[in-house]
Amino acid sequence: MFFELIARNSKRSRKENGLFFTTLLVSVIAFYIILSLSRQDVMLFLQKMESDAVSRLLAMIPVFYALTLVILFFLIYFASKFQLERRRHEFGMYLMMGMTRNRLFVLLLAEDVRSSVIALLIGLPAGVLLSELISLVTARLVGLGIIGHRFTLSLHAILLTAAGFFIIKLAAFLILSAKISRQEIGSLLSEKPEETKRQYPAFVYGLALLAGILCLGTAYYLAIRGMSWSQIRMMGVTLLLGFAGTLLFFYGLRYIFNLVIKGGKRDRHLHIFNVRQLQENVVRKSGTMAVSSLLILGALCCFGAGVAIAVNYGQSDPHVLDYTFIPEYTDEPNQEKAAADIFDTLHKEGLDTEFSQLFEMKIGRIRTTDIRSEDDFENAYSMDSVMDQIAGFPASDDRDILLNNLSFADYPYLISLSGYNELLRTAGLPEIELGKDEGAVYMDSSFVNASRLEIMDAVLAKHPEVELDGNPLQLTGKVQTTAVVTDYSITMSFALILPDDAFQYYTQNQYDVYVNGVLDSGTTEKTGLMQAISGMNDRLNETGLNYESYLQNMGRQLFYIVAASYITIYLAIIFLIVANTVIGVQFLMNQQQTNRRYKTLIKLGAAYEILCGSAKKQINWYFGIPVLAAAVSSLFAVRALFTGILSPRTQGTAGELLGISAAMILVLCVIECIYMTAVKRSSSRYLLTLMAPEREE
Amino acid sequence: MNTILEIDSLKKYYGKPGNQTKALNGITFQVMEGEFLGIMGSSGSGKSTLLNCIATVIQPSSGRIVMRGTQIQSLKGKKLAQYRGREIGYLFQNFELIDNLTGRENIMLPMSLHNVPDKESRDRLTRLASYLEITDVLDKFPSQMSGGQKQRIAAARALIMDPGIILADEPTGALDSKNAKTLMKKLSGLNEEENATILMVTHDSNAASYCKRILFIQDGQIFHELRRDTPEETRLEFYERILKVMSQMGGGSANVL
Repeated sequence: MFFELIARNSKRSRKENGLFFTTLLVSVIAFYIILSLSRQDVMLFLQKMESDAVSRLLAMIPVFYALTLVILFFLIYFASKFQLERRRHEFGMYLMMGMTRNRLFVLLLAEDVRSSVIALLIGLPAGVLLSELISLVTARLVGLGIIGHRFTLSLHAILLTAAGFFIIKLAAFLILSAKISRQEIGSLLSEKPEETKRQYPAFVYGLALLAGILCLGTAYYLAIRGMSWSQIRMMGVTLLLGFAGTLLFFYGLRYIFNLVIKGGKRDRHLHIFNVRQLQENVVRKSGTMAVSSLLILGALCCFGAGVAIAVNYGQSDPHVLDYTFIPEYTDEPNQEKAAADIFDTLHKEGLDTEFSQLFEMKIGRIRTTDIRSEDDFENAYSMDSVMDQIAGFPASDDRDILLNNLSFADYPYLISLSGYNELLRTAGLPEIELGKDEGAVYMDSSFVNASRLEIMDAVLAKHPEVELDGNPLQLTGKVQTTAVVTDYSITMSFALILPDDAFQYYTQNQYDVYVNGVLDSGTTEKTGLMQAISGMNDRLNETGLNYESYLQNMGRQLFYIVAASYITIYLAIIFLIVANTVIGVQFLMNQQQTNRRYKTLIKLGAAYEILCGSAKKQINWYFGIPVLAAAVSSLFAVRALFTGILSPRTQGTAGELLGISAAMILVLCVIECIYMTAVKRSSSRYLLTLMAPEREE
Repeated sequence: MNTILEIDSLKKYYGKPGNQTKALNGITFQVMEGEFLGIMGSSGSGKSTLLNCIATVIQPSSGRIVMRGTQIQSLKGKKLAQYRGREIGYLFQNFELIDNLTGRENIMLPMSLHNVPDKESRDRLTRLASYLEITDVLDKFPSQMSGGQKQRIAAARALIMDPGIILADEPTGALDSKNAKTLMKKLSGLNEEENATILMVTHDSNAASYCKRILFIQDGQIFHELRRDTPEETRLEFYERILKVMSQMGGGSANVL
């Protein structure tokens, strides 16, 4: 009998509060996925190459886990409190009928454990499945191939998930049941009186609203202008202003409600009733609403930051080269011979056939002047005409940055034209044609963006004349940005591409030679680029050649993308579900607390549809206000984040920002719709129970 | 005088055969326009069931309820809402005011529920408020009002749509004697001056003495009927007669051992 009661009660709780139960399920799934991150194919692969960064990331995961457990604890505490409050009368009845307090405690504990076990039994397999799916999809997307995939079950992750979940559930339960069990039977049986809050004159709320908006405005101004990112103290001030602003804004929101009611829109479809209901909720729970709104904002920011990081590392230069072989350093003035040795070795090992392209890239410095001291740099190269022309462009941040960067380019690297043209051919780009005293400009893509390139190209189109070691040189063509070697960490902010003869002259035959290679497309298409390069690496390691492969770059890139997207999406999901569940549960709780009002409406002849319509309208607004506040804030916050996180190259145009914001808001809308529908259904179900006439004589 | 409401052999049974409660066991009566009809009976006599049947809160088991020629059991959807909103005004024992709405908003609630343009009713609200002496509390919340003020707000809400009939369910049940007296005076005044039709369920003989006619119900059936001989009979005399019938109910002294 006792066990049957436990089973029935726990089933009823799940049914009555499906929203909360679903939240628990989702959090179990999220927990497992983040904890089993180390077992993902991509991570296993990355661990080989970027073991340092990966282990640092994996070390951080427990911190994230603990953090989310704390957040979730509050959610569970809040929702369980609501569940237990609803059953006060029932508990009173149990005690009246002679159940001991200990037995009641055991009953509640058993119910709680039962629900938790069910959540884990559904959530964990779902988590395992989803994590496998993510692993497969990401592996496929980055070209790891399915061959390497193994079904992995992280026992460690399962245990940690279960342990964490049980600990927070138990903690919440113990605190709540201690509160309940201390109460008198009489107070349990009677309805809990509603607490009333002190009212202040209207202008106080108006002032709070104004102060809130001012605080928020200041915070966003500081963040977007980049001032917050300069010092930790400023960041603290910005965050504080943001928090305070949101709290004040929600506190002062009742002022607007008063205006709406006084505004005298025609009272139809229970308009005033709805507004009064909302007003009451906002007045009584302005703090919780503000926190919910901040959580949603947090979720949006996580999403935005994830996108920003992914964009920053993901959209690097187009991939042209797979390999760069670096000759052993010799005492010879140039490395031509060492480069020839590389070709030999490759040929001997039968590896040269695996490459569709193998060519030399020669890079050197100006040797015609005798550089004895730092001052001599100034004589090596000058391009005053270019600087003057750039200075003539309308003032902009990009122009200033360009001027600043180029002012240091007084001793540029030189690149030989034949090698560079080979590279352009491989990349499928038009080759450069240079006359005798002509040169082209190379700038690494990490130093320019679209508008800087535009300025430079406009300048170069006028064929400005510069001085190279006292000789005139005409700059021509467009700025070249295709990377000269595979390693992205080797960058040159400004270099000159010269015809081979001029290159030989200015470098005085002292230059470095790099051998670039592109794998045969037949191999890469068969196994995927990742597998092809990793296979080739194994074979190259035996030859003793010194090389850099695209894999390192890709690995680094992949790592940042995976790390950023995993963690930000994880946090965003946790924030979103917590915020939405709090809002939803709070609404339903309030609806049940004020069920008398709905009963009165029914007695006055309100049809079920009218009540549902009224509740739906309230739900729309109740969700809408914090979500809208968060969405508006996010427009500023994401911009501020981009200012802080992204390098100037990837800061992107307003259009891109708008696109990201729009995508975020769309995702948010979908999630909110799901939650709102769930809450509406649950509210309609509850209203239906009120419709049954009571027989009171 | 026209018949406004006609109840014809109305029955309401609760439970299954064999274990049935006959809350209403074949009640027949009529309410004339402008009448102030009281229904008295002890607890469990079926008074509230009768009122709930008329208010379409519950469906009777059999019998007819005809309001101005329309049988209301057959009403559905919009017509039913129209009936609830336009034809009846309900006054409850415990006021049933919504606590987070002001007096004015509570009174206007039926208009909002039934999507009635509120222009015409604003004048009516002013008139009703001044008659019921609640103008001062219109912008207060129920928690700031006395019991009598709350019930008069509720009365204004029942009257705002100018219904064909007002159903009052123990309206003085939760009021002290002074407030009860004020309310009954106002209701009776509305009946006399505005020709409002009122059907009031009560077991308070004092309140019942304001009625023009009283039906006594016992065990789901009409047990007795009293009619006040206006204007010859004073309220006090009528009250005495009510008390006499009350003492007869349940078999009178014959049942007392």
